[in-house]
Amino acid sequence: MDLQLSEQHLAFRGEVRAWLAANVDRPWREVLRDASSTEDSLIEARRVWQRKLHGAGYLGMDWPAEWGGRGGGPVEQAILETELIETDAPPVLNTLGIGLLGPALIHHGSEEQRRRFIPPMLAADEIWCQGFSEPGSGSDLASLKTSAVLDGDDFVLNGQKVWTTFGPWADWIFVLARTDGKDRYGGISFLLCKLDTPGITVRPLRQITGESEFGEVFFEDARVPRTNLVGEIGEGWRIAMTVLAYERGAISFTQAVQYGRDLGRLATACKEIGRTGSAVREKLGRLLVENEVMRANGIRTLANFADGKAPGAESSIEKVYWSEFDQRFRETALDLLGPGGQLVRTSPEARDDCDWARQFLWSRAETIFSGSSEVQRNIIAKRVLKLPQDPR
Amino acid sequence: MRFELSEDQALLRSSTRDFCQRELPIDKTRVVMEQSKDGYEPGMWRSFADMGYLGLLLPESVGGQALGAIELAVVMEEMGRVCVPGPYLDAVLAAAVLATAGGREELLADVVAGRKLVILAREDSPYCGNHTEPTRFADGRVRGTKYFVPFGARADALLVTTSDGLVLVDAPGGTTPLETIDQGQRFATVTLDHPATFVGPLSLLDRVDHIGAVGAAAMLLGVMDRSLEITLDYVRTREAFGRAIGAFQVLQHRMADMLLRAESSRSAVYRGAWCCDTRDAETALACASAKAYAGDAARYVCGQAIQLHGGIGFTWELDLHFFFKRAKTLEQRYGSTEAQFENALVAAGY
Repeated sequence: MDLQLSEQHLAFRGEVRAWLAANVDRPWREVLRDASSTEDSLIEARRVWQRKLHGAGYLGMDWPAEWGGRGGGPVEQAILETELIETDAPPVLNTLGIGLLGPALIHHGSEEQRRRFIPPMLAADEIWCQGFSEPGSGSDLASLKTSAVLDGDDFVLNGQKVWTTFGPWADWIFVLARTDGKDRYGGISFLLCKLDTPGITVRPLRQITGESEFGEVFFEDARVPRTNLVGEIGEGWRIAMTVLAYERGAISFTQAVQYGRDLGRLATACKEIGRTGSAVREKLGRLLVENEVMRANGIRTLANFADGKAPGAESSIEKVYWSEFDQRFRETALDLLGPGGQLVRTSPEARDDCDWARQFLWSRAETIFSGSSEVQRNIIAKRVLKLPQDPR
Repeated sequence: MRFELSEDQALLRSSTRDFCQRELPIDKTRVVMEQSKDGYEPGMWRSFADMGYLGLLLPESVGGQALGAIELAVVMEEMGRVCVPGPYLDAVLAAAVLATAGGREELLADVVAGRKLVILAREDSPYCGNHTEPTRFADGRVRGTKYFVPFGARADALLVTTSDGLVLVDAPGGTTPLETIDQGQRFATVTLDHPATFVGPLSLLDRVDHIGAVGAAAMLLGVMDRSLEITLDYVRTREAFGRAIGAFQVLQHRMADMLLRAESSRSAVYRGAWCCDTRDAETALACASAKAYAGDAARYVCGQAIQLHGGIGFTWELDLHFFFKRAKTLEQRYGSTEAQFENALVAAGY
């Protein structure tokens, strides 16, 4: 066993730290609280920040250098993310492009598609959103109905996508569409569509946080050139699954850093407002312990990555753990802070250490996106515990 | 970075698993728990010595193995899987204190060889409360009462915490055995008015407490892991409503939660052990977290194992209750969950 970062990784962390110290001029939480900030100005700030990171070579850490990456691995990626959290840097803008589509193109795209789409994706010139979920297809994603019918050199798309994060600000969408109505998995294809194509309409969707990061996308006889098909016809499901594996990464490790940082702020806040009784300490103690265990899970995954072992279905355990922990954490935070914890961030009375109210609301999304807690438990039962199929 | 055990550690795991299956199978545990007045087989102690388990943490100069917390966690996890009765962890921890204090080579050699049992006596109140008469050491005598001394009735010597430091009492006597729910973890009340020798300050216990927390958490891991395995076997064969009950989603999700807790405990236990061995700055926080979490987790997993078995799970005949009881006993010892929450908060500076 060796749970310490290697000399090489420590050196990389030092380099990232120095660069961030010189380049993050204002903590992101201050920008968010700024009364002059709007949803649009925040998007622009994230675009500028992404370009800066890209210029310094910190995007696509684990991509081959040929595609603008560093040829690093998940350990370097986790170190970078950890340091971004510690310095409270802005989030990059093109998260779905870089997180999901980039790997899809690197593994399954044509040479031409990589040359066309990867550079503007990294430079935040083209922002991507994800068209997987539909109003009738959430957890049972393979039941999706948006159709793509080949007509000459184009696919003609009809249907609706929903929960498309960044929809309102995106230029492009990657879509899972049905090319064969009879083949549940093999009838799905992976297509790239420009959002200003005639027949495509994007509508913002307001979330429980009040933000409209989500959108819904409608397709009415929208024509997409066949050259925008990734992989072969019918390969969409396989591509989506390999791409979703990228979403997993060493996420417990980075989440533990973020939650640990906020937990420290909560502990300080409790002292400031005089909540130091044993009931409060027991709540803080439990959160601290659970976050440390999450960190241990993350270190284990990171060490396995470094040791050349790719995570399998066990990553479902991590997803359930961190998302359900964050809900307990944010709920408890609001309990401990009293009604003041419910103040929205722009309220002059709101605490400036963390946006407690927004995080409380946001945590409800975490047990739904990227495979709900229920789907993750199905995966654990079937693929890890090898239990018999549920007759339903 | 690497999470896997080293080759030697993996070898220790497989040899310990063989040893436990051969010498300490659960059927034997049952006989001890049902019939032994000592709560373990003192005759077995020599085989623990032969395997090198008693001197695991001790330097080679006194016949020890000079191994660390990771190896102790491996052994404890395997012993947890068969719910080994007896004072193993207590003996290892007491020996570690003696070795750190220095001197007393003859006694240590007897401990390593399994000829003598030395135990830490720390509890000043039967209910872990604050209303206690502290034990005192003065003029070469120790006076006071120690509660819940593990295997106090069998111990050849006690390492006693007093308000004046740590002292050693030979052949204490004056013990009253206590009957508790886990027959494999016996306790006694020890009334002391005995000659004693000074061992050292209470700070000798700091590192031992970290190792003890990890060791106990590792046994909790073995206890819950085995309970889950037994349950998984059962739900694959037990039928209700015309099918194996393991096919029902509501039970599958319960078992997914059991696995989540067991695997998260594994991460925490081995991280804690690694921190102890490398004297990492996070040791106190990692060890407190491992023990607090594993205690909660084992109670849940072992309780749900009984639940998923239904009525048969509540019978004495099935082995599950041994694991359930051990989980509860360990949860409250080597730093209770409540105490470890506080330790964690202090370690984090909160």
